[in-house]
Amino acid sequence: MSAQRPKIDYPLWLQQGAVKITGLMRGHYALSRYSIAMLLLQGDQDIAVLVRKKEGRDRWGLIDATVEEVRSLSPKPISYVVAVSRQKTGSKLIQDVVIKERLRRETWLDVLGELTMRLPMGIPVLFLVLYFALYRFVGVFGAGTVVDYIEGTIFQGYLNPWVNALVREYIPWPIIQDLLAHEYGIITLGLRYAIAIILPIVGCFFLVFSLIEDSGYLPRLALLVDRLCKVIGLSGRAVIPLTLGLGCSSMATLVTRTLETKRERVIATLLLALAVPCSAQLGVILSLLSRKPLALVIWITFVLLIFLMVGYLAAQVLPGQSPTFYMEVPPLRIPQLGNVLTKTLTRVQWYFFEIMPMFVLSSVLIWLGKITGLFDYAVSGLGRLVTFIGLPYEAGAMFLFGFFRRDYGAAGLYDLVAQELLTTRQLVVAAATLTLFVPCIAQFSIMMKERGPVTALAMAGFIFPFAFGAGFFLNIILIALGLV
Amino acid sequence: MRRFYFWQKEKSTKKNLRQSPLRKAVLVGNPNVGKSVVFNRLTGLYVTVSNYPGTTVEVARGRGYFIQEEMEVVDTPGMYSLLPITEEEKVARQLLLQEQPSVVIHVVDACNLERMLSLTLQLIEAEMPLILLINMMDEARRIGLRLDCDLLSQRLGIPVVAAAAVLNEGMANLRKKVAELVRTAA
Repeated sequence: MSAQRPKIDYPLWLQQGAVKITGLMRGHYALSRYSIAMLLLQGDQDIAVLVRKKEGRDRWGLIDATVEEVRSLSPKPISYVVAVSRQKTGSKLIQDVVIKERLRRETWLDVLGELTMRLPMGIPVLFLVLYFALYRFVGVFGAGTVVDYIEGTIFQGYLNPWVNALVREYIPWPIIQDLLAHEYGIITLGLRYAIAIILPIVGCFFLVFSLIEDSGYLPRLALLVDRLCKVIGLSGRAVIPLTLGLGCSSMATLVTRTLETKRERVIATLLLALAVPCSAQLGVILSLLSRKPLALVIWITFVLLIFLMVGYLAAQVLPGQSPTFYMEVPPLRIPQLGNVLTKTLTRVQWYFFEIMPMFVLSSVLIWLGKITGLFDYAVSGLGRLVTFIGLPYEAGAMFLFGFFRRDYGAAGLYDLVAQELLTTRQLVVAAATLTLFVPCIAQFSIMMKERGPVTALAMAGFIFPFAFGAGFFLNIILIALGLV
Repeated sequence: MRRFYFWQKEKSTKKNLRQSPLRKAVLVGNPNVGKSVVFNRLTGLYVTVSNYPGTTVEVARGRGYFIQEEMEVVDTPGMYSLLPITEEEKVARQLLLQEQPSVVIHVVDACNLERMLSLTLQLIEAEMPLILLINMMDEARRIGLRLDCDLLSQRLGIPVVAAAAVLNEGMANLRKKVAELVRTAA
């Protein structure tokens, strides 16, 4: 069969040169000797090292000399000659294989695909997607209906009282009782947050996100907002990590790799850490604020302003060129339900196994902190700090939770509201500050890994005072305006 | 069971090269031709399918059945040429050099066949046990392209399979062709 395989039409001198080089080789290679010779001729360093090792110094000397000799025959850079030969051979082989049967027929998907990329129509489409997918489904259904049922009915109604009673009956030591149950126990707090609050929200979000992703809408969104992204020193491509950040900022920070320049990656990482709320946080905050539309509008405007402002400033401060942007736009497709479901499942699974230990660990740390008194100390410190931005003392604990996981903090906010400890103004300020506040442990460790410890620590050092400063100003502004 | 996700980067190539008794099928090709989807179809192990650039940065491995034969399937990072420029292309070529594949499946996009044939030619030149998988046939049909795979197979001297992996089209044929190639080689 291989006898019929086509040869690439290299110029004769190149063919003869390659044959001469293969004649000098004795070693066995995973690739054919001819192809090894071609790579050597194109100046492949890794292959040169490999050949030197296999052939020994003497023969390598001969081979290397021959390679140089053949290279000197080339009128143009040899890689160019090689590439052109391959292209020509390819074009010849493909004749009559590809037949353009008819002119492209426009389907309704094509029309819709075009619309989503154009400015006047793209914006309402974007808002429809945001409204139905994120707000109605994740915010109202996931974070509202489902959470209310699992958290309120199942956990608070049945599971927690049952666990508390069980623990009280079988474990005589109050310290161990507190580790497992009661206010901050592994089961009553850690498990409850993870399963009842975070899981439904993240599940809904990943489902919607997978649907949007598989439909081919994301690259279109990237194209649509490219110009806006330029203002904050990013290209439209950055829409992907930034939107992913609405799912899980840790994951998104990893995906900033796909951005072209280091400058872009730094800006995107900073924005993700500061002003992009992750799905759990977003879901909880949306569901809390959606009961008061004005509060929701203020929160969105505020976070968006911070996002643009910090991005703009970062783009001014950081040296380097603005990125160019080119992206292949795939056609709009109807997502395959099977694909979407499995993808959602793997993501939820990954997420869940990643956060579960964190929640348990957080419960244990809080328990340790309570025993040693460290926790109370930190809570009272933060409690005093949050009174500066007009929040009740109890809100301090929530920011401490936020250290362990952002969504943990958001879930704490949920608890505060459930206990009716916050006015609307306080709720807005708390939600905004919490959104801006430090990234969670997982995100921070990825920032350290991807951007290096110096950059990551500098970002954290900027974000901490900035979040509280911004909260402080928001509080003053809201009081002055008397809006809420 | 090991789990693979697109955000996990393979930590060390060496560690993952421990000899497996199974024969190997290695998937290669440009970025964004649906390699990951093909991989998931072949192994039944879902990684993540995305139609935007940059997600296939890791090496995923799984197992799948090809008629009678169970094989290890390796999904490589995207590569444009055997001469690597990026880190990812280096990893991909390293895999070709070290894995001793029984079958190399070159996945191409049916809509951009000509552009991608250059790598096919290089793999033929390297005398790899090659199968050309022309993926995304559904897109090609949609834009009114028809491909004569038999003619191409004749000219290239290798098996050519037309497929639309997202729709599970052509996957049975691919499995059959892989099994045949392994049998004739053995």
